[in-house]
Amino acid sequence: MSLRKFGPQDIILNTMRTYPPVKFFIYGGEVYYNNSPHLQGVLSGNLLSVTGGGISLYEYNVDRKTDVSDVIYPFITKDSAGASFSTAGKVSYTNEFQFGDRINGFYPLTASISRKYWPRPGEREEGSIPGTTGSESVFNAAPVNRHFYALKNKFDWYGYMSEHYKVESGVGDGWDKATDPMGLISIPSIFYGSGIQKGSVSLKWYVTGTLAAEVRDVNRNGELHQVSGTAEALAAGENKVAGVVMYNEGFIVLTGSWPISTTQMQLDRDGTSVPLQDPNWLHFGVGAHDGANQSERGVSFANASFEINFEGQTDIQVYTMFAKAGKGAVNYSNNPTFLQYSQSLIRQSSSRIYEESSLRKIKNTVSSSYPGYSAPFKRQVFISRVALYDKHQNLIGVATLADPVLKQEDEDYTFKIKLDI
Amino acid sequence: MALSYEPINRNTDVTNTKTMLHEVIPLTGTIVSGTYGTFPNEDNIKNFTHGMFQSIYDYPYLSSSSNHIFDISLGYDESSPLSSSSATQNSKKMAIYNQFSQLLLGYNQDNGKVEVFESDLDITDDSRQMRECIFISFSRLLSKDQIKKGTFSIQLGSGSYTGPYDLASTTGRNRGGILTLQDLSASTDGTGIGQSVGGEYGVLYDATGSITNPINSASYGVVFYQAGIVVLTASVFDQMYAGQPGEVVEDGLEIQSGSAYGLTATDTSRNIYETFVSSSISGACDGVRHRIYNISYNNTTEINSTIYFCRMPVNKFNYSSNPTYTSASKMVIKNVASDLPVTYVTTIGLYSANNRLLATAKLSEPLRKDPTNEITLRVRLDY
Repeated sequence: MSLRKFGPQDIILNTMRTYPPVKFFIYGGEVYYNNSPHLQGVLSGNLLSVTGGGISLYEYNVDRKTDVSDVIYPFITKDSAGASFSTAGKVSYTNEFQFGDRINGFYPLTASISRKYWPRPGEREEGSIPGTTGSESVFNAAPVNRHFYALKNKFDWYGYMSEHYKVESGVGDGWDKATDPMGLISIPSIFYGSGIQKGSVSLKWYVTGTLAAEVRDVNRNGELHQVSGTAEALAAGENKVAGVVMYNEGFIVLTGSWPISTTQMQLDRDGTSVPLQDPNWLHFGVGAHDGANQSERGVSFANASFEINFEGQTDIQVYTMFAKAGKGAVNYSNNPTFLQYSQSLIRQSSSRIYEESSLRKIKNTVSSSYPGYSAPFKRQVFISRVALYDKHQNLIGVATLADPVLKQEDEDYTFKIKLDI
Repeated sequence: MALSYEPINRNTDVTNTKTMLHEVIPLTGTIVSGTYGTFPNEDNIKNFTHGMFQSIYDYPYLSSSSNHIFDISLGYDESSPLSSSSATQNSKKMAIYNQFSQLLLGYNQDNGKVEVFESDLDITDDSRQMRECIFISFSRLLSKDQIKKGTFSIQLGSGSYTGPYDLASTTGRNRGGILTLQDLSASTDGTGIGQSVGGEYGVLYDATGSITNPINSASYGVVFYQAGIVVLTASVFDQMYAGQPGEVVEDGLEIQSGSAYGLTATDTSRNIYETFVSSSISGACDGVRHRIYNISYNNTTEINSTIYFCRMPVNKFNYSSNPTYTSASKMVIKNVASDLPVTYVTTIGLYSANNRLLATAKLSEPLRKDPTNEITLRVRLDY
């Protein structure tokens, strides 16, 4: 088989950037993703075995019973490579499994958004120095909200985009994110890809089904400005910054505490009780996997619903290759049926000589327009596949045509092959 | 950006490993037949106008949630006694057989013809030939890199048409049984398997055996592990089995019966050979599908890894280029000048020979490094 080499103009590497829209709707302690209802199957009450607006990573186990014998699940054997599932912790993997043991995983692997509400984000546990008394013995120990401390440096680092990212600032009335209340919405990267598209974020606060207020990152710098809503919401906070978006990390940080409605609701827990509170941006998204639901928070909880819209960003590298079959080339096939049947293919063969017959005849595949008449022979092939080889002539890919293409000797073709990587 | 680099010795610090990730794939007959509509017109069964095969999904195929799980088709070799110009879709049935044979077995070097399937490990001996075959091609989504050797099992109902798996009935034609075929002799160490153009394959034996005779010598097909294709001989539906090896209750299973197949009063049912001759491929696939009780296997995904042992000697990596490491030209973590320098390692950067950053590895928590300790971090790169 002869091979043909791609020329410098025959291979193009492009990046295709897509911005898939994403929508979450949060109501009554449930999260809905892209308006997908909770589907019920024939064999299972939950079609994808996913709840709470989640994505099933591989979408295996569609409409399966939950018996172990009915579901697809992964397993791995412990060996020297040290590969494991993340559910088997370091200690467990080392101590509880012998080499050769089988470690089972499970499907579906799911992800969804989640929310946290911190009345004092920078709060620390209180430690005491042994052997001392009084105020001298008290010191700040481990953080209560580790996520806040994990994000602190990033907050300050993004200060070049907007002052509102910074943990502490004297702008306006000033703020200290460590002591002021904060709401944090975490979005797993499977929903947005490499980053959230700047300028695409919109948060909508609905009170009894009516849009009370909306914030958007209108300036594309991460600041969430309140852009619309009811008259009372606009009077309280039109164009105010209710929070910031961390585009690359998938976090929405909400700090706006002005009331957007006079309809009080039981939203977030204050200590052990859930008092009636003015709805504001700190409470946005309550019920999104934070443990809040109507039975626990009371009847007024049903008045609140929330919508999160944004666009993700996904980069797909695409190889485009032009495989050329020029005139006078690619006119022979190694397929055994290319030659006429029942003819001697070998001229002589012995322990020393193997000689193929030079008189082998190619089967005439030229279609005749008339019955009982064979059209004159022409050299032609039907191209059905294009194979891609590496420089060591290893077959690394095959592109198959939907229908074989007839190629005659005086014709040339270029096949455009695209490969997403 | 790193200021100093620690070279990796390719002989002592780099090793390659391969991990096999497996998945258990059970496919019950309820998915294949009868769950999503009325047999044979279920919503998860897709037929095509060309009529050369049938696709089975795990949910109605118009739903975006559905996954294609396998295709089913059948055909016979031109040398089969069933081959006849009067047979329904005769040329297509031969084309199907030839295509699978060409793909999986290749050509006979002596006569230039495609090989004939055999239910043994030697294609060249022309014994146990399978000239009439049923082909099941599993989706790559399920079979991944290959089917794990020694794990494939298919169970077929060999009871009456109306109760193909009816184990409760014990008499006459209603005395059903389930025939279990497994690649019992195949092993992941490479024994008990054959090699062909289409990759490695194992023989499917009747595994409905007793403890004293776990492997019945009867073989009814082969499974091609890398291709993810199962080839069953039509003769697997020759007889009604009673659930014990070799115990045959009655010949001639009804593969098709009744008006669902357009059969008439004079032609009420068809056995497997009549089905091969007189039925369309899609109709015959319905009949075969109707008798699939269970399919299960484990798939395999090969994960190739390169492991880099990144060594931090005693006298290195005790300083950080992080801007917060110093303040007013002093290390902020030192209280007095005589303290040892200390760093906390959070990230490892892998650089090319010309110092270009190729990849980073993050630690789950920072590790303390000072001149009194030495750390070797094991970085695994999967691809």
